[in-house]
Amino acid sequence: MSTSEHDYESLGLVAGLEIHQQLDTETKLFCDSPTTLREPDEAERTLRRFLHPTKSELGELDEAALEESRVDREFEYLAYDTTCLVEEDDEPPTEVDGEALAVAMQIASLLDMRVVDQVHVMRKLVIDGSNTSGFQRTMLLGQEGEIETSDGPVSIVDLMLEEESAQRVEEREDGVLYSLDRLGIPLVEIGTGPDIRSPQQAKEAAQRIGMLLRSTGKVKRGLGTIRQDVNVSIAEGARVEIKGVQDLATIDELVEYEVGRQAELVEIAEELRDRDASVGETTDVTALFEETDSGVIGGALSSGGRVTAVPLYGFDGLVGRELQPDRRLGTELSDHAKRHGAGGIFHTDELPAYGVTDEEVVALRDAVDAGENDAVAIVAADPETAKLAIDAVAGRAETAIEGVPEETRGANEDGTTRYLRPLPGAARMYPETDVPPVEPDPSEVETPELLTEKVDRYEAELGLDAGLAEQVAYGRRMPLFEEAIAAGIDPTLAATTLESTLTELRRDDVPVGNLSDEQLLSVLFLVDGGDLAREGLTEVLSELAENPSLSAEEAIEAAGLGGVDENEVRDVIAGVVERNADQVAEEGMAAFSGLMGECMAELRGKADGETVSSILREEIGKRS
Amino acid sequence: MHPGDRVRVTRDDVTNEGVLMPSSDSDNLVIKLDGGYNIGIDRAEATVDVLETNVYDVGDDDTDDTDDSGDVSEITFEDDLPTISLISTGGTIASTVDYRTGAVTAQFDAEDVLRAVPELAGRANYRGRVVANILSENMDPSIWSDLATAVYEEIDAGADGVVVMHGTDTMQYSAAALSFMLETPVPIVFTGSQRSADRPSSDNVMNAICAVEAAKADCAEVLVCMHGSESDDSCALHRGTRVRKNHTSRRDAFETIGNQPLGTIAYEAATDDGADGSVATAAIEFVREYTERGERSLSIADDLEPAVELVKFTPGMDPRAWDYLDGMAGVVIEGTGLGHVHTDLIPRIESLVDDGTVVVMTSQCLAGRVCDRVYDTGRDLLDAGVVEAGDTLPGTAKVKLMWALANLAGEQTAVRDAMRSDLAGELTEESQPWR
Repeated sequence: MSTSEHDYESLGLVAGLEIHQQLDTETKLFCDSPTTLREPDEAERTLRRFLHPTKSELGELDEAALEESRVDREFEYLAYDTTCLVEEDDEPPTEVDGEALAVAMQIASLLDMRVVDQVHVMRKLVIDGSNTSGFQRTMLLGQEGEIETSDGPVSIVDLMLEEESAQRVEEREDGVLYSLDRLGIPLVEIGTGPDIRSPQQAKEAAQRIGMLLRSTGKVKRGLGTIRQDVNVSIAEGARVEIKGVQDLATIDELVEYEVGRQAELVEIAEELRDRDASVGETTDVTALFEETDSGVIGGALSSGGRVTAVPLYGFDGLVGRELQPDRRLGTELSDHAKRHGAGGIFHTDELPAYGVTDEEVVALRDAVDAGENDAVAIVAADPETAKLAIDAVAGRAETAIEGVPEETRGANEDGTTRYLRPLPGAARMYPETDVPPVEPDPSEVETPELLTEKVDRYEAELGLDAGLAEQVAYGRRMPLFEEAIAAGIDPTLAATTLESTLTELRRDDVPVGNLSDEQLLSVLFLVDGGDLAREGLTEVLSELAENPSLSAEEAIEAAGLGGVDENEVRDVIAGVVERNADQVAEEGMAAFSGLMGECMAELRGKADGETVSSILREEIGKRS
Repeated sequence: MHPGDRVRVTRDDVTNEGVLMPSSDSDNLVIKLDGGYNIGIDRAEATVDVLETNVYDVGDDDTDDTDDSGDVSEITFEDDLPTISLISTGGTIASTVDYRTGAVTAQFDAEDVLRAVPELAGRANYRGRVVANILSENMDPSIWSDLATAVYEEIDAGADGVVVMHGTDTMQYSAAALSFMLETPVPIVFTGSQRSADRPSSDNVMNAICAVEAAKADCAEVLVCMHGSESDDSCALHRGTRVRKNHTSRRDAFETIGNQPLGTIAYEAATDDGADGSVATAAIEFVREYTERGERSLSIADDLEPAVELVKFTPGMDPRAWDYLDGMAGVVIEGTGLGHVHTDLIPRIESLVDDGTVVVMTSQCLAGRVCDRVYDTGRDLLDAGVVEAGDTLPGTAKVKLMWALANLAGEQTAVRDAMRSDLAGELTEESQPWR
C-alpha cells in the first residue's frame, strides 16, 4: 500500500471539483423568509407529505434516483415562524431574489465567467423528500470561467444558482423527517473542468475558489455551508464522484487515497484475470452455522435469519488486500452488503476469527466448492436481506475482475471513502413555469476586492500589522469591519475589537455569538466618539453578550461605566492626588506613573487613559 | 432554424450546443443544453448553425389534442368492480412532463388518468369522458348544462359513481349547478388540484384516490373532495352547495362555510381498504345526515336563465354601477352584515323589482343568515321587495336563481319561495352552532 509516492502523470490522474456554497442573503431565493437556521425543537408545526413521481416519469428515472425513492415513503417537515408557505409548497415562488442574483454575478465575475443573456429557472427532479415540491429549482448563470493555480489554469465550466435542500433531521423506518429552515437558502454550484492533475492542485483550486467566494462577504460560514464534491479517475480506472467533503484541508489526501484505491483495484483486476478468477453461485449455508460460537452469526440466526455465501474463485488473499488505510477489497464488498441492509460480511481472508472456527471455515469452503486459491464471503441477516446482500457482494466481486467501477462515494473523516450509490444519470429537468426568466445585467455588479488584495490594503493603507490584516480579511466579521471603517471608525480599534477582543472573550466563555452587527458597531462608535473608554470596551461587550436585548448605551449603564464627564474625572483624580499629597510634594512629576495606575483603577474604564493622564499631569503640576 | 432543431450557437467567445426551444420572446434564443438547463442567448449577438433538424417534437404545449370530447374511453379490471366515470372539464389533475423538452401536457382519457395516478388501478373499472378542455375561470353556464347531461348519461349507463375533474377556481359554482340540476342515486364527486400535476408533490394523487373512494361510497350527493389540511393525511368531503375556495394556493383551500365539512376520508386507510374494489367504509366518516345511495332516482333539469347577476355592495360604490342591471331576470346582492346596502340604493332596488326582476339578498359575511327585520334599512329593503336567501352563499344563490328562474313554472312567487327554502342543502333551516 503506497499512497504518497504515485506518479500522477503516468497514472493519468484527472480530477475536477464541484463546489456548493450557501449565500448569506437577507432572504431566501424564492420567498421572503430569512436564511436563518433553527433548532428542530423550535418548530411550530409539522406537515406530512408523500411524493408521487408518475409511472411515465419513473420509466425514465435512473438507477440512483430509483434506489432513493420508494413510493410509500412518508416525509414529515418541521415548519418555523421563520418559514412560509413557499417552503411548504403551498404557495407559488416569488421571482428570483435580487440580492442572491447579484452575489452570484459577483462570483461569476471573480471566476472570470460569462453571464448568460437570459437565465431560465429549471425544476430538477429530486424525489428523496429533501425538496417539498419534489424538485430543486436551479438556474445556469455563468459559463466558461477560469482560475489560476501554480500548476496552471483550471477551467470553470458552469455556475448555477439554486435552492438549498431541506435539512435531514431523522431517518425513519418508512420515511424521513426534514427541517424547512434550510430549504430555499440560495446556493451556488461551481463546476470545474476535468483539468486537475495532482492532489495538490485539487486542494489549491478548492482553496482558491473558497477564497474567491468569501471575497464577496456574502457567503455563509460554518459547518455544512460549503460542500465540495471531487471527481477522480486514473487512466485505467473509472470516474468516481466523491460527495460531501467538508474540510478543504483534506482534499489533497482524499485525491491521493482515491488514486491509491483505483491503482490497487487495477492491480487486483490484473491479478484476478491472471488467475482466471470468477464468482460462483450464491447459496444458503445456514446449516453449517447452527452451532456457531460467532455472536454476529448466532444473533442473526436466533432471530430467524439465514447465512448466505458466495464463492470467489481465485480471490484468495486479494479480498484482504488493503486499498486505502484500513480499507480492503473486503470493505468494498461489505459496503455493498450494508447498502442492502446487512451489517457487513465475513470473508475467508480474515477467518477464522470473530468466533468463527477453523472447522466452520473448512466446512464452508467444502460447501461452496472453494479450494485454497479461492475465497468465500458470507452474510448473516434476515432471510430477505441475506439474499439481497450476498447478491450485491457477488455483483461487486464480479466488477473487481473487470477493474474499477464508476460510482458515487462518500468522504470519510480520515480522507478515505465509502461506497454510496451508482453514479446519477442525467438530471430530469423541465422549466419552472412559475418563475419568469431573468435578464441579468453584469455591468450593474461591482467585482469585489479579493481577500488577498484586502490583506495588502489593510496593511498598506490602514496600517494594520500583517497578522491582524489577514485575520480580519479572512474572518467572519470582515463585512462588519469594512462597514465600520467606512463609517470612519479607527481601523486598528475596529480590527482589534472584532478579532482579538472577541476571540479573548470567546476563550473566556462569553457568548459572543449573541452580539449582533448593530451592537458591535454602536459600541465601536461610542469608543471612537469618546463616550466609552477603550478600557471599558471588554466589559461592555461581555455585558451585551450576556444580555443581548440591551442596547450598547444600556450595557454601558449596566456595567457601571456610564455618565462620566470631565469634571467627575477631574474630581476623582484630584482626590487621588490629594490622598497622595505627600508623595506628590516629594517626587513631583515622578509620582505620575504610580498615581496613573491608582486613577485608572478607581475610574474603572469610565475615562480613557489619555484624558486621565493629561488631567493627572495638570493636577500634579498644580501642586509642584 | 426551428424549435426542435439541434443547434450550435456562438456568442462572443462562448459556444453552446443544444436543442432550440420555442422561445419566450423575440430577443432571445432559448436553448436546452445537454445537461438539461435552458439558457436564453441574445439573438442579435448570436451566430447559429443548425446541426440537425427536428431532433425533438417541441410543438407548443397547449396544442389541443382533445377534440374527441364526448368520446368515452373505458378500462375494465374485473367485472365485479364498481364502475366509476371520470369526467374532465380541463383541470390538469393528470399531466405528463417530457424531460427532453420540458413540455407539460394535460391528459384526459381514462388511460391517461391511470398512467398519471397508477394507484387508481384495480379499485374500480373506469369510464373516461371529456366535457370541456378549459381553464376553470373560463367556465360558462352552458358548460354546466353539458356537464350535467354527461353525468346524467353516465349514471344512466350504469356508473356507480361519478368523479368530475375540475379546475379549482370555479369548482364551487359547477358543484352548486349540478346540485340543483340533478337528482342522483349515486355520488357525484368533484375534485382537482391546487398544486400542479407536473410536480411530484401535487395534491392530485391523494385527491383523485379519495374522490374515487368517495364515489364508491354511500353518500349520493354532489360533493367536493379536496385536501382537509396541508398534510397528505385526509380529504374533506364538502356539500357542493356549501363549499367555498377560501385560499389562493393552499392544498386545503376549500372549506364548508359555517360548519365542519360533511365528511372526511382518511387517505392511507382509504387507499388500502379500497384497493381491491371494496368500499372503504371504515376510512370515510360523515358527521351529519346525508342522502344515501339509491334513495333518489335519477332525473335532470338542466335549463338555466342566463340573465342573472351577482353584485357586491361596498362603501363608496357609484350607484351607476348598477345601471346595467335593468332588464335582468334576477339579481343577487352580496350585502353587508345582516343583508344591507346604502339607503340611497333602495329606490333602485324597488324599481328593479317593479320591473319584474327577482332581487335576492345574501351577505358578504358568508357565514350566518340574512335578516332584514332588525334595522330600518333592512325593513325598507323588504318593503322594496328583496327576497332573503337565508344563509345561502352568494355564489350558490346566483346559480340557484339561474336554475329556479328557468325551471320553476311561470309564477315569480314560486321562484321567490324557492330562494327562501332549501332545495339541495344550500340553506339550513335553523342556525345551529358548529357540530
